[in-house]
Amino acid sequence: MAPSVLHPPSHLSPAEALAVSQQAPGILRASAAAVSSSPLASLLAGPEDPELWLQYENLIVSCLRTGDDLAANACLRRLAIRFTAGNERVQALRGLVREAEAKNNGELERVLKEYDEILEANDTNIPVAKRRIALLRSMGRLPDAASALVRLLDFSPTDAEAWSELSDIYLSQGLYPQAIYAVEEVLVLAPNAWNIHARLGELQYMAATAPGVSTGSYQKYMAEAIKRFSRSIELCDDYLRGYYGLKLVSKKLLSNGAKAMKQADDSEFALPDTSTVERLNELATAKLAAIVRHSTARDRGWRGYSEADVSAARVLLTEDASAIKR
Amino acid sequence: MAQVPVQTIHRDPQLFYWILFPITIVMIITGVLRHYATVLMASAPKHLDQKTTREQRAMLHGINVRGNHHVLSKPSFTARRDALITAYESGAFLKDPDNRGQPPPNPMTDPGAMEGMMGMMKNQMAMIIPNTLIMSWINAFFSGYVIMKLPFPLTIKFKSMLQAGVATKDMDPRWMSSISWYFLCIFGLQSVFNFLLGSENAANQMAQQMTQMGPQAGQMFGPGVDPNKQFLAEAENLAVIEHHSVLDGVEQRLLDQIKV
Repeated sequence: MAPSVLHPPSHLSPAEALAVSQQAPGILRASAAAVSSSPLASLLAGPEDPELWLQYENLIVSCLRTGDDLAANACLRRLAIRFTAGNERVQALRGLVREAEAKNNGELERVLKEYDEILEANDTNIPVAKRRIALLRSMGRLPDAASALVRLLDFSPTDAEAWSELSDIYLSQGLYPQAIYAVEEVLVLAPNAWNIHARLGELQYMAATAPGVSTGSYQKYMAEAIKRFSRSIELCDDYLRGYYGLKLVSKKLLSNGAKAMKQADDSEFALPDTSTVERLNELATAKLAAIVRHSTARDRGWRGYSEADVSAARVLLTEDASAIKR
Repeated sequence: MAQVPVQTIHRDPQLFYWILFPITIVMIITGVLRHYATVLMASAPKHLDQKTTREQRAMLHGINVRGNHHVLSKPSFTARRDALITAYESGAFLKDPDNRGQPPPNPMTDPGAMEGMMGMMKNQMAMIIPNTLIMSWINAFFSGYVIMKLPFPLTIKFKSMLQAGVATKDMDPRWMSSISWYFLCIFGLQSVFNFLLGSENAANQMAQQMTQMGPQAGQMFGPGVDPNKQFLAEAENLAVIEHHSVLDGVEQRLLDQIKV
């Protein structure tokens, strides 16, 4: 089934993105080049369809990915006709198109300078500010990107997207506590997002297994990681990433043996006792095995998992099995 | 048993074409025109500068932390709470920290507030003027007689609704006067407008009145509200939170809940 043009295409695989961008000529042909806003036309043609603009936006992104610059420019032109070229989102999209068309670093610098000019005129233009940060990041200027994000978040601390981007940048720099802080902010804004809970668990696990971590903070990180993964499964049954993380953490804890688990002071989470960890490990193993089995057999109701996730889970399970045999 | 004789009133069949239709069509056209007048008169959403955005979102941030504190672990919640309370109490997020403690400016002299009120006035006018005109037009030309008979029986209570302007005691409530048809049009044309103009039209004044009655979303940051006081109140709210985490005992919950 081809993915819908109505969803943001950032997560699509190359093949799916190609399928989306191949719909572009059809959509462009099916809809009028300029929607008239005169009363008569809208009376005759019915109300204008907000989904159309969403389609254009998503088409721009997937067409740029697949190299169909012509279609992307056509979509952009239609958006600019409807919403005027000064619209914040249109500005950001035009920047995106120009970034994609840039052939060398000099042209990217020019786009960056344009962003700076736009932001100087209007310093709350969040779409363009985000575009600028993304461009800085893709040009490899991570510290600049991070400080620009911090500035953005200073005046707009309720922006979950920006917080998670910041966490990603910090993670790529190896700054685990900062990355964890940023993901916690995302959770404050979206308290029931199971993927964010699992993400936080992953970060805690990475922080715990990073070289040079003291035993105290290792235990603290591991304890919270196991709890985060559990919470993510509690929010979403059969969540593969949650079970994967739970399995990973509990395996790690069990393989360390019953180290002297000193009771941390009560403000922090304590590691659960060994029997609980064992039961969690069993649960995660059983569930992962079930997910892998059903998903490989393509059973009804088990098809949503991504190939990569399932095969990673399979590898984890086989590693586990071979360790037991030895 | 004696049957109540069915009332018959001989009407000119032309009444139907020359009154019922014109009133309906005029009502629809005014609704459509009102929609476009509102769209044209709508002022663009006011641009917020960075400091105002910061002030408002810092407030929302505090509310979010307060509402969702349970997703955080205790140390991270305490760190956030301390930072937010200090910043709120020192006025770090205020748009203009120099105005702290001064009474809020008079909303009548504040240009920003005036704009909002002008917008409301314009909307009110767009509602009142056409209604007055049409009402007086109908009153002048079509008042004082019945124009149609409804095809279903009604109880006596409907008389006042359906026979406005025709003060006849014994007439069956099924007879309907032109003014009443006008009122029915006011209340009943919403779905026609939805069909013609899309569901977010401004043609029907009833919907607008509803939104004006309802709680106003912008009230929190509206004119005349002192942000400093809001920040102090929020700091207090944060300070009194008894923290508990949703992660407490989550493994046990999970093991109890999911059986393999």
